Amino acid sequence: MPLFDPASVQAQTLRGDWEIFFGAAVVVAIIMFALILLPLLLWRRRGDALPPQFKKNRSFAYVYILTPFALVAVLFYFTFVKERSVDALVPSPYATVDVTAFRWSWQFVYPHARIRIVGTPQQPPVLVLPLGKITQVNLTSVDVNHAFWIPYFLFKRDAIAGMTNHFDLTPTRLGTFRGLCAEYCGLDHTLMTFQVKVISDADYRRWLATAGKSTP
Amino acid sequence: MIAWLTSTDHKKIGIMYIVATSFFFGIAGILAMLIRTQLATPDMTFLGPHAFDQVFTIHGTAMIFLFVAPFGLGLANFLIPLQIGAPDMAFPRLNATALWLFIFGGLTVLSGAFASGGAASSGWTAFAPLSEIRISAGAGQDLWIVGLTMTSISSILTALNIVVTVFLLRAPGMTMWRIPIFSWEMVATSLLILMAFPPLVTVFAMLLIDRHLGGQFFDPAHGGNPVLYQHLFWFFGHPEVYVMILPYFGVVTEIVAVFSRKPVFGYVELVLSAFAIAGLSMGVWAHHMFTTGAVTNLFFSAMSFLIAIPTGVKFFNWIGTMWKGSIEFSTPMLFVIGFMLNFLIGGITGVMVASPPIDFHAEDSYFLVAHFHYVLGGGSLFAIFAALYFWFPKIFGVKLSERIGKWTFGILFAGFNLTFFPMHFMGIEGMPRRVYTYPAIEHLPLLNALATIGAGLMAVGVLLFLLDVVVSVRKREPVGDDPWGGYTLEWATSSPPPEFNFTSLPPIHSERPVFDLHHPAVAAEVTP
Repeated sequence: MPLFDPASVQAQTLRGDWEIFFGAAVVVAIIMFALILLPLLLWRRRGDALPPQFKKNRSFAYVYILTPFALVAVLFYFTFVKERSVDALVPSPYATVDVTAFRWSWQFVYPHARIRIVGTPQQPPVLVLPLGKITQVNLTSVDVNHAFWIPYFLFKRDAIAGMTNHFDLTPTRLGTFRGLCAEYCGLDHTLMTFQVKVISDADYRRWLATAGKSTP
Repeated sequence: MIAWLTSTDHKKIGIMYIVATSFFFGIAGILAMLIRTQLATPDMTFLGPHAFDQVFTIHGTAMIFLFVAPFGLGLANFLIPLQIGAPDMAFPRLNATALWLFIFGGLTVLSGAFASGGAASSGWTAFAPLSEIRISAGAGQDLWIVGLTMTSISSILTALNIVVTVFLLRAPGMTMWRIPIFSWEMVATSLLILMAFPPLVTVFAMLLIDRHLGGQFFDPAHGGNPVLYQHLFWFFGHPEVYVMILPYFGVVTEIVAVFSRKPVFGYVELVLSAFAIAGLSMGVWAHHMFTTGAVTNLFFSAMSFLIAIPTGVKFFNWIGTMWKGSIEFSTPMLFVIGFMLNFLIGGITGVMVASPPIDFHAEDSYFLVAHFHYVLGGGSLFAIFAALYFWFPKIFGVKLSERIGKWTFGILFAGFNLTFFPMHFMGIEGMPRRVYTYPAIEHLPLLNALATIGAGLMAVGVLLFLLDVVVSVRKREPVGDDPWGGYTLEWATSSPPPEFNFTSLPPIHSERPVFDLHHPAVAAEVTP
């Protein structure tokens, strides 16, 4: 369950936003359900006498206009903080990967190590990331819109032809995670997946050295 | 038959809208069942990918463009002249033109199924470059574009007609602050249509130029921009969401007041909040584009949060209307309560996905699918059923069975929540929308099985409603002109109303003239 065990530094920040909003959602839902259901329980029609015919309550109106305003102001504050933190890019990342989406797979290029990995719908490619280090991803597409999504990182970004998106990923857990295309891109959209393999820094360096040599 | 085909009577046109949109709902519903069958288990091979893509594209297209939005316009056609005490719409022949443009536009979209390569399959949003001719070459996509251009122009004409009708054709005594809430909501809806649909027609024209005349609006290799398509589409697309909900806010407000046997609480606030929502909704389109990396996320996030305030005002006004009331649990009221409970969940998840850090995970996942189905299915669709049960006696002179109606409500409410609540968790666990299968990991198989069972229940509910219509129409029990103790002028005329609607009108001293007529003592006390 991605929300319970996010696997990157950025995902932990993003999960903070989920926690705040889930908390607020549950509280608001309980209060509002109660307010909707209460009249139904208390004031069923009994007989023909008309109930009091009041039409407004000025002071109550201030409460139900200002309370939601205060609530969304607080929620916006947290949104602002989390978004700024996740969008921030470090000037000199530890590693860089150029990700190119195409119908219907992905190409991962490690420009400094001369590594190029190209997948197919039947053989999804593997994205290798070093544990605890910042990898900057440069994301684009060569045809239609795609979206690069790693659920355990709680993060996705669109791959759009003609522009490049940049973001940092800092994995915090060893292991293999599912990655996929989230923007519908035609026939084999469903099969446009990849794997994210997070390995230790030492293993990563070793991999760069060997994989760099074997790639033409 | 000829009388119907050539009619310019707003009531006949309204009924034809209701019948046509119900037909499109049936098609879209069957397609939904195909989707849920394919997704019932992880290893289904019921639909191939190409068929699946067409099915979800036409499901979304038909539900949005051919059912939820135009049903509101059809209901408005029937009700607005009656509610404001007018003999017809301001432009009856324009009205008939709009109806037939809509019907033929809808059929044009569906006819894509018979084109070589099949129906359109680039989703209801038809994002370029996916919908460009080098990728979606089939005529199905062209028929989709042309058909929806026709329905869009139809909506613009109807919106114009509604605004002029409400502003110019009100009966003597029907001042602005006495216009029934449903009619007010339709004015707000119509203004939104007038602002949002021309850009849609524009983007369709640009797409056709790209496809057939060598245009390169959305092709970056020739200086075009795929993000431009999204800007234009969502500049229409978000206001469209409110075109699909404001009419039903009106329906809910009217029904909740009648069955609480109290006046609408906070009438002025309800009207102002409709216009606040309409105004704000013009400035939030890019919240559909948080993950593009091409928009100012925080601005659009803040604007989207603000919409929660006028929407909250509506909820509190409905609660205020029920407060200390004398509540009658008729079938329309049950659907309205269902609307409130479901729509509340859709509204809350709406505030969640308006926060970009949440949207980065939720966007284009089943969490989002759950969110907008809670708004449009649990919200608008439930209000549509409420409207059908409430105004059926006025439209056809026959009341639907309360007994079958309550069963229908119960089954639809349970089925709806069983279908769509699990989808929140599918999305969180990493299931994207528009996929024809999914891996058997985490809870995805269980959640999808539940959703498919729920969809089956919903189908039973809809069939039960059809049974109710057949049984009630055959029984033809006389119900009188005002079976519910209605408030607004449509209940002051016969059921069904005569040609040109009224032989005489009651005096109009408040926003509920028919109530005043039946309770003169109370009216004198309440209305200053």
